[in-house]
Amino acid sequence: MTTPALLCHQLIKTFDGTRALDGLDLSVEPGTIFGLLGPNGSGKTTTIRTSLGIYKPDGGSVQLLGSPDPLAVRRQTGYLPEERGLYARMKLHEQLAFLASIRGLSAAESARRASAWLDRVGLGARAESLTRELSKGNQQKVQFAAAVIHDPALVVLDEPFSGLDPINSRLLKDLILEQRAKGTTVILSTHRMEEVEALCESICLVYHGRAVLSGRLSDIKARYGRNTIAVEHGGGPGVLNQIRGVQACDDGGREVRLRLEPDADPRTVMRAVLDRVDVSSMRLDEPRIEDIYLETVGAAEPRP
Amino acid sequence: MSPSLVFKVARREYLARVRSRAFVLMTVLVPAFLGMYMLAVPLLGRSSSKELRIAVLDAGTGLGAAVGERLRAIERPHITVTETSSIEAVDAARAPFNTAIRDRTLDGYLIFERADAAPVRARYFAREAGNQVLMRELRLAVQSAAIGRLLAGTGVDAADLRRAQQLDLGVVTVSDRGEREGGFGIALASTMSLAMLLYIAVLINGQGMATAIVEEKSSRLIEVILGAVTAGEFMAGKIIGVVGSGMTQLAIWMLVAIVALVQAAPAIAMGTASGFDLSAVLNARLLFYFAIFFSLGYVLYSILFAVVAVTCTSTEELGQSMMAAILPMVAALMVAVSVLSNPATTLTRVLSLFPLFTPLVMLARVNILMPPLWEVWLGIALLIAASAASGWVAAKIFRYALLMTGKRPTLPELIRVVKA
Repeated sequence: MTTPALLCHQLIKTFDGTRALDGLDLSVEPGTIFGLLGPNGSGKTTTIRTSLGIYKPDGGSVQLLGSPDPLAVRRQTGYLPEERGLYARMKLHEQLAFLASIRGLSAAESARRASAWLDRVGLGARAESLTRELSKGNQQKVQFAAAVIHDPALVVLDEPFSGLDPINSRLLKDLILEQRAKGTTVILSTHRMEEVEALCESICLVYHGRAVLSGRLSDIKARYGRNTIAVEHGGGPGVLNQIRGVQACDDGGREVRLRLEPDADPRTVMRAVLDRVDVSSMRLDEPRIEDIYLETVGAAEPRP
Repeated sequence: MSPSLVFKVARREYLARVRSRAFVLMTVLVPAFLGMYMLAVPLLGRSSSKELRIAVLDAGTGLGAAVGERLRAIERPHITVTETSSIEAVDAARAPFNTAIRDRTLDGYLIFERADAAPVRARYFAREAGNQVLMRELRLAVQSAAIGRLLAGTGVDAADLRRAQQLDLGVVTVSDRGEREGGFGIALASTMSLAMLLYIAVLINGQGMATAIVEEKSSRLIEVILGAVTAGEFMAGKIIGVVGSGMTQLAIWMLVAIVALVQAAPAIAMGTASGFDLSAVLNARLLFYFAIFFSLGYVLYSILFAVVAVTCTSTEELGQSMMAAILPMVAALMVAVSVLSNPATTLTRVLSLFPLFTPLVMLARVNILMPPLWEVWLGIALLIAASAASGWVAAKIFRYALLMTGKRPTLPELIRVVKA
């Protein structure tokens, strides 16, 4: 078995008596895209910061790229923080070159890569612009470039898609896949379940400072089985709720998703649905990440 | 600690400071402004070429003519005198003269109200009443007229009297290192100017760096940077960068001063002839100590600014906390001013050895009344020691506070961190 790119064992981190991390376990296979999920305030960012050595854990251990000291390998990591971490009054090219150079690249190489990356994210013509003159989405692209400009072995992206329009989301998705193709390990912390679905091979769901669900996405889904019926009928959950064998009903707007009780027969339920509403489409589906997320976290969270 | 990383951080900070609008503006404006100020103070009132039109109203004292004659003899500013003798009611007579002043056909008028008994009582009415040089001339003119009248008939010639009154009072400052032409007046101008230079440079660059640190903290840029450099390297780079920008400013200002000194050499020779000694304002010894105190004071205050900045989480907080770093400098400036009147008291000597005060206060002492050399160098040594100690403390605070967001570290927390 290969050494994990990141291995967290029983991580504990306390702030002012509050446990942000409460015995968190995490293992990230090298060369994969790993999704770090969880509600706001669950400990994702603390997990990231502790893993990268920005925080020292109060308990447990971190092994980053095979090293027990994350700081020792920090030049091989890249990080895109959730807040926009760029100098507002610095020119784009200069900024990227600076961030590359403090990761140990020569001045010439830093400048060359800064130009190449600006071209790559479509900002080549704005190399001399100041960061603050850029839109949020464009800043986000520059920041992504800053996180990977030194070709790190592992890059952590905290909410990289926020503020991006569909075209730029697409571009960023391609860039992330490009990183993986190069063998880079990508840790993606996000609330956007569709991106997780599209990109991640493995996930970890952090809740109250613990990993409540983790593993390969395919394994997790298999564990849940094809236990969901997706119905389009031009209406809300309504009567569908009361069908025997339906454990929960999630109104997705256009589509209503019925999660079945473990021993329910899907065909019986589907027939019952057809009896009650005018169905325009219906299919038996595996749970989406969002469903699993909501089920795992929602059980503990107070419903609105 | 990797020197190359420190250098890279320093280089960025240096360029950010030097390219800032405030830096460029101040580097150019400050010497221009101070140059004018330093030259203007000794020369003020000296070379007013404007002709003064003064009326002399004599309320029957008989002094008017003599005063008028005396005033006419003044070459610069040239004074035109109109005599109106023997007015009866002073207040009634004043009205047309006030009108003339308002119409700007007259600059001022002098009234004698009582001259029979000593002291003579005279009043001067004018639009611009603050001209000290003119007041001195008026006083002298009235006094000589009064004395002239007293001596009338004793055979003393008026011209002899005038010659006798011409006084050349030179001031020479005597210190352990010898004598120096010029009193504290000129030293005041140059001390204040140098103090202001240090103050402005520290304020502009220090504040720039402090804002940058808070920006890095609040934007989380610091997390990216700390992924590449340590807190210690980061702090060292910041301070070296900002000190570099200060030194650049200093170098430019020194260069200007030296050029001014060389260019002004003929003027100095001329100035000396006219009683104004430029070398009292700008000289090699003063520039030497200025460079030393500027550099060291700058380093110490930069560290102070950096520490204040790192404990803030937003620019609003920084604005409030900046007082903590600026206050000692303002205090030092005030002490430096008070040194001018008490250059050698024990209190002054003690205060000038307090590192936060040394740059300004010791510089003021050097400028006004050269203290014993050992005191100067003790001050310098203490300043260096204080900088080193605060750098050490600052590094600990940086490691602790750099990643704190949302809440500020409290003072007890910081003390615990430093003790640890």
